[in-house]
Amino acid sequence: MLKIENLHVTVEGKEILKGLTLEIPAGEVHAVMGPNGSGKSTLAHVLSGRPGYEVTGGSVTFQGRDLLSLAPEERAREGVFLGFQYPVEIPGVNNVYLLKAAVNAARKHRGLPEVDAFEFLTMVREKMRLMRMDESMLSRGVNEGFSGGEKKRNEILQMLVLEPRLAVLDETDSGLDIDALKVVAHGVNTLRAADRSLVLVTHYQRLLDYIIPDRVHVLVQGRIVRSGDKTLALELERRGYDWLTGEAA
Amino acid sequence: MSTALLARVKDEYGSVRDTLPPSVVATERRRSALEMLCAQGLPATREENWRYTNLRVLERVRFAPTLTPTGAKPELPAPLEGFSRYVFVDGVLCSSHSIAAEAGISVRSLRAGAAEVRLESPPIPALPETRLALLNEAFATDAAAIRVQSLAGMQRVELVFIASTAAEMGASYPRVQVTLEPGTRLALVERHLSTGDAANLVNCAVHVDLAEGSRLTHYRLQQTGLRTAWFDTLEATLAKDARYEILAVSTGGLTARSTVHVRLAGSGAEVALSAAALGDRLQSQDTFALTEHLAPRTRTEQTFRGIASARARVAFNGKVVVRETARGTDSRQSLRDLLAGPEAEIDVRPQLEIHTDEVRCAHGATAGMLDETMLFYLLSRGLSPEVAQRLLKWAFLEDVVSRIELPDLRRRIEVEIAGQMSEAASLKELLG
Repeated sequence: MLKIENLHVTVEGKEILKGLTLEIPAGEVHAVMGPNGSGKSTLAHVLSGRPGYEVTGGSVTFQGRDLLSLAPEERAREGVFLGFQYPVEIPGVNNVYLLKAAVNAARKHRGLPEVDAFEFLTMVREKMRLMRMDESMLSRGVNEGFSGGEKKRNEILQMLVLEPRLAVLDETDSGLDIDALKVVAHGVNTLRAADRSLVLVTHYQRLLDYIIPDRVHVLVQGRIVRSGDKTLALELERRGYDWLTGEAA
Repeated sequence: MSTALLARVKDEYGSVRDTLPPSVVATERRRSALEMLCAQGLPATREENWRYTNLRVLERVRFAPTLTPTGAKPELPAPLEGFSRYVFVDGVLCSSHSIAAEAGISVRSLRAGAAEVRLESPPIPALPETRLALLNEAFATDAAAIRVQSLAGMQRVELVFIASTAAEMGASYPRVQVTLEPGTRLALVERHLSTGDAANLVNCAVHVDLAEGSRLTHYRLQQTGLRTAWFDTLEATLAKDARYEILAVSTGGLTARSTVHVRLAGSGAEVALSAAALGDRLQSQDTFALTEHLAPRTRTEQTFRGIASARARVAFNGKVVVRETARGTDSRQSLRDLLAGPEAEIDVRPQLEIHTDEVRCAHGATAGMLDETMLFYLLSRGLSPEVAQRLLKWAFLEDVVSRIELPDLRRRIEVEIAGQMSEAASLKELLG
C-alpha cells in the first residue's frame, strides 16, 4: 500500500527526516511512536503534501504511484487522509457542505456521479451517532467553537465518511479524555479492512490499548530505529525512549 | 481638470434645465445645488476621504440625464413575497412593472406628482464627502417618496433601479426619500441593476428620516454592470430610540462609491451598518461611512467585509464622531478586508473622533490574505485550490450576508455572489 524509502525532508532549512524507510502493507495498522521533535508530525504532513516541507531525497510510493508528485488534493482523491493534530476552525463553511464537497471531489475523480443528497445525509447521521456527535454540529461552521475532543471526533467522522485507502492520524489521541478516546478508537476500528492501511502517529501507548497495531515503529532523529509488534509499545511505555536514542546516532 | 469638468456640468444642465420636473426638485433648488457644487468643486482623489474612489470616470460620462426611457422590457428579478415593488428605469418610475403598496404606507413618484407635493427633505448640507448628492439634486428626473404612517406591523417595499442598455453614456439619478413616522416599521429593499453593460453614470441620493421609536431595515444591493460608474450618497437622521439597520452588498460597477452619513440625533438611537463588497477585474469598491453621535446613549455598529481580487481596489473608511452631547455612546467597528490577487489593493480605516467622556468605542480592522492553514485543510480533503479559495472567500463574506433576515433574498444574494466568484476564470480575457 505505502512504501517509503530513504526519505529526507527539510523544513525551513533544517533536515528533519534523515533517511526514513517504512513499508505498510494493505490491511495493516502501524503505529509510529517517538519522542518530541523526532519527526513524527513531519512524516504525517509530508505524506499529505503540506507546503513548506521540502523533500530532498528518497521516494514515497502509494499503491504503485509516486505519491510525492501529486498535489495535496490529488492525494486526498486517491484515498490518502490526514487526521490533523490541530484541526482548523473555518467559520462560514459548514461541516456538511465540506463533507459533501470532499466526497464528491473523490467521486468525480473516480468517474462516479455526485452522491445522492438524501442517502448522503442518512449515511453521515449514522456515522455521527457512532462518533457520539450531536447532529447540530452538521450545520455549524467546520470545527467552529468545537472543544478539543469534538474536533478530533470530527476528524474521525470525516475519515469514516471519506473511507480512505490510507489514513494517517497525527496524534489523534492528544487532548482526549478516556471516554472520548474510546469513542475515537471505536470509530477507527470500524474502518479496519483488508484493503485499507492506517498509520497512527502517537506519543503514548494509551491509544494502542484500544487500537491494536500490527506493527510499531520508533522514530528517533528522523529515522526508524526499531520496529516490532505491539509489545514494543508496551516496552516503550515501561522504559521510555532514552534507551533507543543512542541507536539513532 | 475640475474646472473644465464643472463647466461641462453647467453646460449640460443648461441644455436640459427646462425639461427637469420641478415636482421632483424645484428649479430654484436645482440651481442652488449646482452653485454649491461649483463652489466646492468636484471631489478629487487628493482629498483624504475620496482617495480610493475612481473619479477619473467622471471625465468620460455624460451628466445630463437620459430623458426618454425606452419602452424595452427590463429583465427583472422575481418579486419578493409580501413586498410591494417600484421599478425605475434610468431614474424614472415605470408603473407597468410595479406592484403597488397596500394601505398604511404611501409610496409616490414625485415626477408624476401634483404641484402641492413638496420635497420633504431639507436642502442637503453638503459635507465634502456628500457633495455628489448635489449633482443628483440638480439633475434628478424622478424620486420615490416613501412615508410609513401605519403602526400595524412591518411594511415591505422593494425599489428596483435599472440602468438600461439603451442609455450608452447615459446618466440616471435615483432619488429616494424615506420617512418613518413615530413607532412605524419598514423593511426596504433597494436594488441597483443594469440591463446589459452600457457605460453609464448612476448617481443616487437617498434621504432617510426616522421619527421616535421607528425602525428601518434597509437592504441595499448594488449589482450594476461592469462598465457602470455608480455613486451613492445616503443621509439619515434618527430621532429618539429609532433604529436603523443597513445591510449593503456591493458587487457591481466599474467603480462604486457609497457615502453613508448617519446622524444619531435623539437619545437611544441606534444604527447598525453591515456592508460587504466584492471587487474583481479592474473594479473599485469604496465606502465612506460616517456616524455622528449627537445625543446620549446612542449606538453604532459597523461591520465590513471586503474582498479584492485581480486588479481590483476595495476600501472602507468608517468614521465615528462623538459630540459633546453624546455621553454614554457605544460604538463598535469590525472592518476586515481580504487581498485575493497579487495586483489587488485593499484598505480599511476606522477613524474615531471623541469629544466627550463616558463613551465606549471599540474597533478592529484587519487587512490580509487567505489563511494558509484553512486552505491546506480544505485541499487535504480533496477540494481543488479554486473551490477551496472560493469557499474561504465566501466564508469571509458570510459574516455580513448571514445577517440578511429575508431567507429568499439572502439565498439570491448568496447565489449571485457565488456566481460572481466563479467568473474569475474569464479574468485574463478582460484584462487583455
